[in-house]
Amino acid sequence: MALQVRSYANALVLGVAGRLDQDNCEAFRADLMVHVERSAHDGGAVILDLRGLEYISSAGLRCFLLASRQAKAQHGRIFMAALQPMVAEIFEISHFNMVFQVFPTVREALAAASSEAAAAFDLT
Amino acid sequence: MERLRSFVFDGWQRLMPRDRVSDQVVVVDIDERALAIHGQWPWPRDRVADLVSRIAKARPLVIGMDIFFPEPDRYSPAVLAARLEGKAPEIAARLKGMPSNDDMLGTALAEVPSVLGVAGLETRDARFAGPPRAPPVRFLDGAGDGLRAFPGHLRNVPEIDAGAAGHGLYSLDLEGGVARRLQLIARFDEAAVPTLAVEMIRVALQAPLTVARAPGGTIELRFGDYAVPAQSDGRAYVRYGHSDRSRFVSAAGILDGSFDVSQLEGKLVVIGFTGLGLVDLVTTPLGETVFGVENHAQTAEAILEGSFLRRIDLAPNIEAALLVAFGLGLFVLVPRSNAQRSAALLAAGIAVLLGAGALAFRYAGLLFDPVGPALGAMAVFGVMQAGSLAEAQRQRQQLREQAARMAGELDAAKRIQMGLLPDPRDIFAGERRVDVAAILEPARTVGGDFYDCFMLDDRRFFFVVADVSGKGLPASLFMASVKSILKSAALTVEGSVGAVLTRAQDEIRRENPESLFVTAMAAVLDLESGELEFANAGHEPVWSHRPRGRAERLDASGGPPLCVLDAYSYPSARRALARGEWLFALSDGATEAMNMARQFFGSERLRTSLDWLGDDPDAAAIVTRVRDDVLRFSAGAELADDLTLLAVRWNGPEGELSGR
Repeated sequence: MALQVRSYANALVLGVAGRLDQDNCEAFRADLMVHVERSAHDGGAVILDLRGLEYISSAGLRCFLLASRQAKAQHGRIFMAALQPMVAEIFEISHFNMVFQVFPTVREALAAASSEAAAAFDLT
Repeated sequence: MERLRSFVFDGWQRLMPRDRVSDQVVVVDIDERALAIHGQWPWPRDRVADLVSRIAKARPLVIGMDIFFPEPDRYSPAVLAARLEGKAPEIAARLKGMPSNDDMLGTALAEVPSVLGVAGLETRDARFAGPPRAPPVRFLDGAGDGLRAFPGHLRNVPEIDAGAAGHGLYSLDLEGGVARRLQLIARFDEAAVPTLAVEMIRVALQAPLTVARAPGGTIELRFGDYAVPAQSDGRAYVRYGHSDRSRFVSAAGILDGSFDVSQLEGKLVVIGFTGLGLVDLVTTPLGETVFGVENHAQTAEAILEGSFLRRIDLAPNIEAALLVAFGLGLFVLVPRSNAQRSAALLAAGIAVLLGAGALAFRYAGLLFDPVGPALGAMAVFGVMQAGSLAEAQRQRQQLREQAARMAGELDAAKRIQMGLLPDPRDIFAGERRVDVAAILEPARTVGGDFYDCFMLDDRRFFFVVADVSGKGLPASLFMASVKSILKSAALTVEGSVGAVLTRAQDEIRRENPESLFVTAMAAVLDLESGELEFANAGHEPVWSHRPRGRAERLDASGGPPLCVLDAYSYPSARRALARGEWLFALSDGATEAMNMARQFFGSERLRTSLDWLGDDPDAAAIVTRVRDDVLRFSAGAELADDLTLLAVRWNGPEGELSGR
């Protein structure tokens, strides 16, 4: 599962696609952690663009949770954006929408990160 | 080994044969034509003398005889006279007065510089007891110490021998029928005799012969401006060119005058025969079968052209050093590269060896044997490959054993995990107010699902379905600890089910180094009042079904899984159950079961399953039905997650059940 990386001001948008489950979450977690350590600190934000994510298991949710703890420790933030209905339902049932800030679109998540990030997004 | 070496040396000779640039050497050939005209061999020697005389008139540089006359001629007049003595005394008397044929040949040979042959014998021949007449040879620095020595020899009868200016050796060392090496010089007691070709050239030059030591443990025959290399035992590899009929002149043409002998002026002439009845055939390293006389001619040509081959005495040491170096190289490099690269390395090394050998042959006339080092390196390579193969197999075996051990441990873990789960039929055997059934179908490995159910007191029934994030041993160990923490919280906390979850979360967080989390749906049912209190920590909601009603998902507000948020107080929700109403709790292994088309079972299919159960199913029928539906849906696909189902039907308070 390759992450698609875009950068807007102090926000990093990571495109996550496919299925995130027990079988591939360790590799995903390693990738994700690298980006979070580099970008989600001192006010910086990492936005997970979940447009392409079809399914997430509890193991995948744990990756998000660990990334969020790491970001919090570095004074950074993690936002979720553009969830598919299936993933939205999983978030809802597991109440992970109480853990993460979830936005309907990447644009809205960027706006929550910083106005500069939103402006950078609008320019492209 | 020796054969392979010969094969390589012959190969180079074939690839790079000597070009014939000199026509200095001519073979006068007693061939089939000459035999047809002048009768069978041996000819009377006066005819041979006639042949020599006719050639001598042309003033060749030298005549070499590749023909041997060790016995007196039986056609000599004196011999004939002895046979005619009684029958024709007159003729006998006349014959006796005539010179012998052998004298005639000796006289003819004396007219021209000529070289006769000496053949080495392993035993002494009584007729030739003394050493052969041989040119004086000067040996420098003991260069002749290692020369091959023959105890005996054959030479020509004295009358003929008297006419010779020099004596040359006839000795080829045939190896497997191939003339590779020539005995260039050999000892006969005190005398030393060089090979016919050397002697012919030396006689032509009227130069003395010196043998000296040469670099690399070899020796050198020096005469005039020539220096011919040889091994210390006097043998030498001959560099061959292709067999060439233009070297030959038929003796018949000389005897009948049809060949212009003046063409032989200034040549080196070898007289020999090629008549098929007189077989003297040898095979050259070029794979050509030639008459022995051509061999002498080729040797003489090679000397005149300065085209020699030498195999220095150090060559075996150099080859051994190459073997060691190549072997060590492989020893170091093979373990650091994969099989293909090692094989390429080996092939490249062998190619370099062969190439270097060929270059040494081509430009320096040096014979090196690359086969020994190459074979040695291949052997080293083979042994190392076998070694690493054995190592790889050993590692595979270890992995297999490890996997088997792990599987064994996982099986044990799975058995322990399953053993932790209560069997509701045992617990509620005599309980009429509630009917409980549960199923846990584990996925391929140890999973993190569990359920639990027990009475808190006489009327309050507690049940929970939970799922620990992750799989395998860590998850199952964590699950065991979570299950006992939940149970103790349920039994000790006075208050709502939400408070039980909150307390459990506090306990679990203390021993959760892996940051695992747990989803849980916990509920308490008052078996007398039918009052249900439930709390959800990020888990699949519980379903309920009233008699003559439809399945209904109890989506009351809950919280995230346990251990996700540090301080979260779980709320509880309530519901008053109707008599005969049943509850169905599950893990996401049910809703997220997938079929081959990668579709999820999902909530809607679950709703349909529950609705189709009919009016008054017992708990066991509910869980069995849903499990069957899920398994049928995902037919063929492996269960990705544990599948946990728990059904609870409230039959009503004890007092109202007497009629049932």
